[in-house]
Amino acid sequence: MTQEELSVLKADKTVDARGTSCPGPLLAAKKAIGEIDKGQIMEVLSADEGTRRDIPKWCNKKGFEYLGTLEESGYFKIFLKK
Amino acid sequence: MANKKMTLALFSGSVDKLTAAGVILGGAAAEDMDVEIFVLLQAAFAFKKENAMTNERVAEITDKQDEFLASLKRLNAPHWTEAFRNAKEMTNVKIHICGFAGKVWHGEKLDDFIDLADDICGIGEYMTAAEESDINLFI
Repeated sequence: MTQEELSVLKADKTVDARGTSCPGPLLAAKKAIGEIDKGQIMEVLSADEGTRRDIPKWCNKKGFEYLGTLEESGYFKIFLKK
Repeated sequence: MANKKMTLALFSGSVDKLTAAGVILGGAAAEDMDVEIFVLLQAAFAFKKENAMTNERVAEITDKQDEFLASLKRLNAPHWTEAFRNAKEMTNVKIHICGFAGKVWHGEKLDDFIDLADDICGIGEYMTAAEESDINLFI
């Protein structure tokens, strides 16, 4: 998705993992993915640069759709669809 | 599809390496891997009930121990026991204490170790598990 599309995308669930270091955000995402239905969208907020790279790879392995990342002030918004 | 398997020969009893092991376990948990950890010599010291939360030894860059420990707090990093516990809650992790290692530190029975440990075993179990694993690490 484009940055413009992501900026107006409404997530069904938000996981705020900005207070944790790797692998905290990834584990928070894994926990939360069980709480949404197939086809729903989740955004993961993380200040961890490694997570920005990990989530797309994790989505690929687990069969989720990585939608893209928005760079906010001091953190990332990483979007995926279950 | 069957879960991938990881075995970890955990030798180190120092918090720097145990913390690294906890981070890797987190990665394995995120991917639903089946993990078997074999707690060998020095790690058995760290797994003793009286040592797990008080042991602050580091194995490397020892002159920066204070900075390292302070940074773990600053970064809100979980204690290694918590990281191991989180992984156990999220995926299939079995933790085996090497019987010989236990005895080195006067740990004769499972109750001498923190409740993360599942059993006490011999090296044969490690060899079998390692042969069958997709990833085998020594830390």
